[in-house]
Amino acid sequence: MEEVLQTGWLAADFFLHSYRISGRIDVRRRSLADMLNDRTTGFIQLEDAYVSPIDRPGEIIGIYSASSLTKANVTLVLVPRRDDALSRKQTYGSYYGTHLRQIFLTVPSFEIVGYLRLSARVDLRRLLSVETEEFIPILDGRVRASIWPDVAFTGGGVLVNKHHIGAFCLAEEA
Amino acid sequence: MMARILVIDDNADLLQMIRLLLEDQGGHEVILSAEGEDGLARALDNPPDLAIVDVMMPGITGYEVCRRLRQEPSTADTPIIILTARGQPVDRQMALEAGADEYIAKPVTMTVLLERVNRLLAQRAVRPAAPTPGMIALVSLRGGVGVTTLAVNLAVIYARQSPDQVCLVDLSTSSGHAALQLGLRPDPNWSALALLDADPGEVAVRNYLLAHPAGLHLLAAPFVPVIGEGPTGEMMLSTLTLLRQGFNTVVVDLPSVLLEGTMAVLEAADAIGVVTTADPPAIQTTVGTLQVLRSFIPKVRLILNQVAPGTPVSVEALQRVLKQPLVASIPFDAGQAEALAHGKPLALTTPQSPLAQGAARVAAALVGASVRPSAT
Repeated sequence: MEEVLQTGWLAADFFLHSYRISGRIDVRRRSLADMLNDRTTGFIQLEDAYVSPIDRPGEIIGIYSASSLTKANVTLVLVPRRDDALSRKQTYGSYYGTHLRQIFLTVPSFEIVGYLRLSARVDLRRLLSVETEEFIPILDGRVRASIWPDVAFTGGGVLVNKHHIGAFCLAEEA
Repeated sequence: MMARILVIDDNADLLQMIRLLLEDQGGHEVILSAEGEDGLARALDNPPDLAIVDVMMPGITGYEVCRRLRQEPSTADTPIIILTARGQPVDRQMALEAGADEYIAKPVTMTVLLERVNRLLAQRAVRPAAPTPGMIALVSLRGGVGVTTLAVNLAVIYARQSPDQVCLVDLSTSSGHAALQLGLRPDPNWSALALLDADPGEVAVRNYLLAHPAGLHLLAAPFVPVIGEGPTGEMMLSTLTLLRQGFNTVVVDLPSVLLEGTMAVLEAADAIGVVTTADPPAIQTTVGTLQVLRSFIPKVRLILNQVAPGTPVSVEALQRVLKQPLVASIPFDAGQAEALAHGKPLALTTPQSPLAQGAARVAAALVGASVRPSAT
């Protein structure tokens, strides 16, 4: 296996309604998914936040050494690799499903396509209403801004805030 | 092929990983910097063979580092790899627009990083040598537009790229100020050279030069204004020919009158920088100057120097009036008055000042001007 140059910090893109905020999170003790789904706090802390408006997502309009995001207002988080979107219990040798189902979903300002990884046949209603996790991991995601179709982002994983989902569509099972 | 590689990243752990990789597996010499401004200063101080720059850093971003490196003649051709956690296609486009040669999204494998570094170094090794500025003449037939200030700052910028290979020649006949701007006493100066009957030879000419610690030499103008026409065209040409043999860059600050000697220098120059301000008298003089210099137009580069505070000028409108593109616009810089008072050019003391940055753009535009036109 090739050696990857990485430290205990994960760089991720946080998408709010109108902004892209890139920042670093300390993931040495807990994964990003675990932090986002931790119900004991409504905030997530970033180190070195770089702010871009969503219509000009490459342009950095502000740099801040520390910032705090309200989880409830984070629509989705894009991470470089699949594993970065999973919780610890899903990554360390655990059985985490073999079914990959292609999905399409909408959230305010964005549409997302990617794959859900499931351990059994998917029950949409259960996934959206019964599962306790606020942020759902979508693998190999592609995110497109609804009103700027040229603005698109890709990542190994996308953590989507369940409460922001408008439409959740499943493709035919292969 | 061992190379000197500068790595700028605010992540201390990653810096050490990259250093180990490039030193142990690549056999390169590695210089580390944890901050954009510091990295820039190191690059300009001693240009590396290649730079790896992170985008997300406190202070200035990697894009800005990249843009500034490209503006400086000494680092304009340095291969730059942007290594960033901002890994989207739009980020790649931003990096390339800022002047990066390569873009790598984090996390990156050791193999990929080393392979890209070595590939860029190999490409650079087969790239033809960058053109040297040669002889650059700066002129304005209207006084007070900052020709001497620009000449001095250009010489400092070129000297940073090629220490001891740059000579500044002040041909003013009315008490030139280049020496003053460099904090030097104008003794000796070219007045004694002008009295010589025969070709002095390169070694003798060097006796009339003043050395400046920035790595440049100055053939100063006499403190006492010259009565009459000043040095002849023949004397100027023989002196400049000798200086061309000893230096790869000669920057000539011409007087604001078209004497025989001035025309001879313009004829011999590789590039002519015509400097103007945006006030009506200066524009009128520049229009007339360009008509007189029409036979030299292929090597003429028009430079706007804003020597007074005020509303920024519309470059497009000025270009329409002058019927010639501007290669660079130098904004007003309040720090110039102090730089003059202390005899320390801004390009030396404050490379990030507006004037020094503008001079850097001019320096880049004038290099190889006779072979490839530049754009603003």
